[in-house]
Amino acid sequence: MRALKTLMVFLFSVTLCLTFGVSSSMAADSVKVGIVLPLTGAQAKFGEVEKLSFDLALEEINAAGGINGKKLELLIEDDTGRPEVGRSVVEKLITKDKVVMLGGGYSSSVTYAVAGVCQQQEIPFLVNTGSADKITTSGWDWIYRLNPPASHYADAVESLLVSTIKPESVAILYENSLFGTSGATAFEETCNKLGIKVLLKEGYEHGGIDYKPVLTQIKRLNPDIIYMVSYIMDASLLMKQSREMKLTPKMFIGGAAGFTLPEFVENAGKASDNVISATLWHQILPFPGAMDYYKKFLSKYDRDTEYHGAEAYAACYVIADALKRAKSFSNTDIKKALSETDMMTVFGPVKFGTWGKMINQNKADTYVVQWIDGELELIWPEKASTKKFQYPVDWLKVWGY
Amino acid sequence: MDVLIQTLVAGVLIGGIYCLIGIGMSLIMGVMGIINLAHGQLMMVAMYITFVLSSYMDIDPYLSLIVAMPALFLLGCFLQKYLLNPLMKIDSILPENQVLMTVGIGMVIAEICRFIFTSDYKTVQTSYGGEAFFIGNISFNVPMCIAFIFAVVITLVLFWFLAKTDIGRSIRATAQDKEAATLMGVNSTRITIITFGIGSALVASAGSLLIPIFYLFPDIGGPFTLKAFVICILGGLGSTVGAIFGGLTLGIAESLGATYIGMGYKEMVGFVIFIIALVFLPGGLVGIKRLIKS
Amino acid sequence: MKKNLTLTILVIVCLIFPLVVRSDYYQHLAIIALIWVIIGSSWNLLAGYTGQVSFGHAMFFGVGAYTAGIIATKLGISPWWGMMFGGIAAMLVGLFVGWVCFRLRGPYFALATLAGGEIFRLIATNWESLTDGMVGILIIQSFRSKLPYYYIVLLLAFACVYAIYRIMKSKWGYYFVSIREDQDASESLGINTVLYKNVSLLVSSFFTGMAGAFYMNYMAFIDPEVVFSLHYISIMAILVGIVGGVGTIMGPAVGAIIMVGVQETFRSSFFGLAPSWISQGHAMAFGLLVVFVIMFLANGVVGDWSKIKRYVFRIKPSSVS
Repeated sequence: MRALKTLMVFLFSVTLCLTFGVSSSMAADSVKVGIVLPLTGAQAKFGEVEKLSFDLALEEINAAGGINGKKLELLIEDDTGRPEVGRSVVEKLITKDKVVMLGGGYSSSVTYAVAGVCQQQEIPFLVNTGSADKITTSGWDWIYRLNPPASHYADAVESLLVSTIKPESVAILYENSLFGTSGATAFEETCNKLGIKVLLKEGYEHGGIDYKPVLTQIKRLNPDIIYMVSYIMDASLLMKQSREMKLTPKMFIGGAAGFTLPEFVENAGKASDNVISATLWHQILPFPGAMDYYKKFLSKYDRDTEYHGAEAYAACYVIADALKRAKSFSNTDIKKALSETDMMTVFGPVKFGTWGKMINQNKADTYVVQWIDGELELIWPEKASTKKFQYPVDWLKVWGY
Repeated sequence: MDVLIQTLVAGVLIGGIYCLIGIGMSLIMGVMGIINLAHGQLMMVAMYITFVLSSYMDIDPYLSLIVAMPALFLLGCFLQKYLLNPLMKIDSILPENQVLMTVGIGMVIAEICRFIFTSDYKTVQTSYGGEAFFIGNISFNVPMCIAFIFAVVITLVLFWFLAKTDIGRSIRATAQDKEAATLMGVNSTRITIITFGIGSALVASAGSLLIPIFYLFPDIGGPFTLKAFVICILGGLGSTVGAIFGGLTLGIAESLGATYIGMGYKEMVGFVIFIIALVFLPGGLVGIKRLIKS
Repeated sequence: MKKNLTLTILVIVCLIFPLVVRSDYYQHLAIIALIWVIIGSSWNLLAGYTGQVSFGHAMFFGVGAYTAGIIATKLGISPWWGMMFGGIAAMLVGLFVGWVCFRLRGPYFALATLAGGEIFRLIATNWESLTDGMVGILIIQSFRSKLPYYYIVLLLAFACVYAIYRIMKSKWGYYFVSIREDQDASESLGINTVLYKNVSLLVSSFFTGMAGAFYMNYMAFIDPEVVFSLHYISIMAILVGIVGGVGTIMGPAVGAIIMVGVQETFRSSFFGLAPSWISQGHAMAFGLLVVFVIMFLANGVVGDWSKIKRYVFRIKPSSVS
């Protein structure tokens, strides 16, 4: 049959080509690190911010002498948001491009796939955004994580609740993705611990148009605080619609992500005012270079950056630092150097340790910010705050009624 | 009680927009028997047009209807004429080729928009964007109410068009029985092109009306295409009146589902209704009417 | 004789591939392509041969994957058992789907299966006590090297394609095609269309379910959006079938290689040879490929091979031996 013959010929030639392969140029005096990010697909926006941040950091690092004289080369590849593609990427980076370590890792499902391969092949992988707990609770000792796990995003909120807001009841609303679900579950546990009654805990599929049904229910239940774990656009819609419904709890609290991005205030307008949120990072934090990074990024790329970008930028510096200190570029030496990391970055202090069930996890602090007059201000912990926490809030007045 | 009324109000208002999405697809399905899986992407194109007009020329999204609708009409005609009509002549194993072609078209359109506009979320900010007025304790979102009114107007215009004009009647004739219509002197090729154009224009209007309330990104099309199906099947294929019932029913059902079953299940409500309608209501809601009559 | 020779060579090439091409990267791509050979061929049996175009094959894939995953995490037994149980679970789902959807014809069946796939995705997302929702299922890979995985999926692919080949050569094959061509005429000829449609669906869902269970074992992580994906599983299955050639035995296999190849070629910017912005183009390439194939190669690369020969290779029909 002709088709079979063709298939056979095709396979033969492909096999021949691949065996001898098109190998990428190997510059003897550069150190290659592979970075896995979603550059296409639904998460492309964040992948792009991280890529640009990596590029920015790379320029600076190489301008300052690179890795002990050698140039640092970042091979940034697209995982398209699919784990099997992420797997192709890491296989290619390790076997074909012979990178010495990996970085990146945005979506947790892709990060799992990449981490699995790195663990198997014993190549160090520094995760800077993937937030699923299991990434560092699975006993994968070749995997290091810069960012805190999703369940710890809102740690700072806890002390704020206890000291100032003192709520008795809460309604939790979350996007039923991995990030949203883990954030919501973690907060529910915190509330149970603090004796705050959880009146409602409901997940929604992201991309919804109309949240009025659930907001009406919440209005009827009248909780003291409303805690929402959402990405950008849902966060804006939730606040806009809460304003439309005149829903007035004591405080609206976001579980990071959507509530801290510039698009939130752009889209929610008045409805964003005085909303507080947990956050992983803000340019006003007292970390050396944080504000500089923000300003450099803005001027170079003419767009805002946010915590994803900061994670990427800091990760690049951590990678460079570890590579500089490593005795050689063998995997065990780099791993050792990573374990011994103890430095300050724009994202905060970075030191990997064992923490609860987690290994190789950086214990990053989280903070609470509040939108005041259209700007995001740090309000908690108090000693680091830029403005005083506006509380209590007369929502109807703030919303212009 | 307030919860129920608020839920119903929300459902009816979004139902208006759903109707526009559904009527377009219903027409296309009725006349050509094509399932247009690119329906959502056509809506997306209209939304991008509205976005561009709003960002660069400060044109109000409701005014941009005047531009978006004809633009999508032309795009729809183009697609039907050059990509879909030729398929009818090709001899292939699967008759569903037209459907699959729309899948390909949808993908290409979405990628072109992604290339031009990137994957960023775009919004159109209007002064009345987040405003609401209250009747008693029930909140009515202003843009949604305006959208609903526009939807009603456009639907009425469409009905007048279908009932009173020659082209409109030709469309209805072709939908009822293509061969008989051709025998009666209707140029069915031309009619299919025009119908696809009108269907596209209708979904374009839905997009322009939706963008002040929602937001825009290249992948927005998919879920709306699915909703369009549910509405068409629910209402009865090819029936514009049915699509209205379908749109409102879907809007209300989603709203009720979100309130009383849980927001995570909102999307599932649509699909379950879809399957139930497909299986038990082959003629759609309109079919029930006929059943009752007989 | 000639046919057997080419077939033998093909089998040998497949068998020695991972021993010759030792790169993990290419082995991974080969495994993914083989998974698509299975899914595509299964879809083709139901759609291409029996005329029931399913837009929801992700249902079977996901059910197979989750069966393997749930067995591993909740019952503590090896997820490899999921290969068999996954296939069976997918068949059960297939029976249910058949019961609900086979009363529908053509495009309605397609839409119903599409809705079915989405319903399963939503169930998997929301039934957290069973599936852990969007947290997904994470297991430990059984083998470090890719070789066992490659040979297992290769065996599965061979079994699937061979089974379909034998089925199509048998009376069942004739019944399927006759149902595709004209269901009512077949019924009036005495062919039990309900029975045979379900048979076709059962075989199709079985292999797809097994492919899903294999995916769980190989990738070690699944979540509802990955395995019940409308776009990346159901529609991809259709594209593989269409591009390769519906209603042919080797069509889906060729289609799988083409689609996986095209995707990776674009993603890696033509293996580093093209400017990097082209990596954004793989989705566009797919769309254009679909439009092109449907317009000009309606029976796929394999089905319309004679046409390709004529136009691309300029081989006139008379000179073909």
